[in-house]
Amino acid sequence: MKNKCRGCAPAHPVKKTAHPVKAVFTKQAKDMFKNPIALLPFIIFPVVALIMTELVAKGNDDIDNNLFVAMMASIFAGFGLLQSAAAIISEDMEKKSLRYLVMAGVKPHQYLLGIGGFLFAAATIVSAIFGFIGGYSGMELLKFLTIMLTGVAAAIVFGLSIGMLSKNQQAAAAMSMPAAVIIGFTPMIAGFNETVEKFAGVLYTQQISIIVNDFSANITKPLMVIAANIVVFAVLFVVAYKKKGLTS
Amino acid sequence: MIKMQNIVKRFGESTVLSDVTFEAKEREIFGLLGPSGAGKTTIINILTTQLDADGGSFDTGATLFETGLMLDADGLYGRLSCLDNLNLFADIYGIPRKKGAEALQSVGLSDAAKKSVNALSKGMRQRLALARAILHEPKVLFLDEPTSGLDPTTAKGIHKLIQGLCDNGATVFLTTHNMEEAVKLCNHVALLHQGKIVEQGAPTEICQRYNSYKTTPDLEAVFIKLTGVELE
Repeated sequence: MKNKCRGCAPAHPVKKTAHPVKAVFTKQAKDMFKNPIALLPFIIFPVVALIMTELVAKGNDDIDNNLFVAMMASIFAGFGLLQSAAAIISEDMEKKSLRYLVMAGVKPHQYLLGIGGFLFAAATIVSAIFGFIGGYSGMELLKFLTIMLTGVAAAIVFGLSIGMLSKNQQAAAAMSMPAAVIIGFTPMIAGFNETVEKFAGVLYTQQISIIVNDFSANITKPLMVIAANIVVFAVLFVVAYKKKGLTS
Repeated sequence: MIKMQNIVKRFGESTVLSDVTFEAKEREIFGLLGPSGAGKTTIINILTTQLDADGGSFDTGATLFETGLMLDADGLYGRLSCLDNLNLFADIYGIPRKKGAEALQSVGLSDAAKKSVNALSKGMRQRLALARAILHEPKVLFLDEPTSGLDPTTAKGIHKLIQGLCDNGATVFLTTHNMEEAVKLCNHVALLHQGKIVEQGAPTEICQRYNSYKTTPDLEAVFIKLTGVELE
């Protein structure tokens, strides 16, 4: 047979002027602002953090001023962003848009960098806003942004993998919701139960929680755990893209 | 030249294509005809390497970059404008963005360039999908039911476009269950029934072979004679 499955074979010789990553990034930027489902988490979590910090935390001596920032930032990365990424990719699959991208020669890593790159850029802005609300500066801010952005990267790749493994948007929501709840809320329960704490130790959200709750903690191990999360999710994504990018 | 030889495709226990062989010459419009479920889309999916065949061989004579596609689902980005949809693919292919505007003009959608795809009628969406397929001036075009569900006037417009593409040197491979469309448009056709090619050749020749040529060639009558099945 002269031709082989496109998901497995090298695509057409791409022109030097081709910019698939930039093209997908630009598409996503334009589409995102018209897609309330995907956009909402980027607005709602910082807004809630701001309101709770200003109205509840700052007027109450028993509550740490940064409590709600730490909480909302963790939930944003573990819950909101994951769902947003899953929704975007599952829509592309359900409407068969992804099939046309694959057929035009867009490779898994290019699609991942295009969609994920935009989400990362948007999440960087949101993380900076969280940092501003929390009043972090100097080393604290640097640590906060470092742990947030590596966590954000893990959340995006995991969300995109869930989206890729789902048949449609509904299935993606059904799959991402429990995953997001487990990943997003486990760090909160971890403090109350040793077994949960052990399990949470492998989650990127727990690493974010460790650092944002105690900036004196060593950041090396949390970063390594998050990096391992990213690798696992990236492998999952590539396998799912090759398997389902064309056939679903 | 698009060539398929002894292609077999199975989905689990069921054989959806058996021993499919045909040849479409360069710069012609080749029609694959058959009712829904006959295996037309499976053949397009194999030819465009979206699916692996279980046996046989094929060659489209074109690389991915030289191939244009219009599949059963248009895959357009509904919230984006017509031009943004085409610009996305122009950037992916690495061709100038002005090609997007040119493609829109060729399908008569220049006035809708800034319109959101969700605001387009079905016929306009079909034309936009065709514009995306021809954006990079492909050598070979695969069109899966390009006029399905369209009103006769819009369908006629699409026919004119397809004919124009062929006149400009493209080889067009299309599927349809509309025999009248095939007679009007195609140089050669293959009749597909339950995954097997039951007849192929020029529409008028096939009709003459089965005495189904009165004032106009009647491919539908030939199909019924050969399969006992009416097309929906």
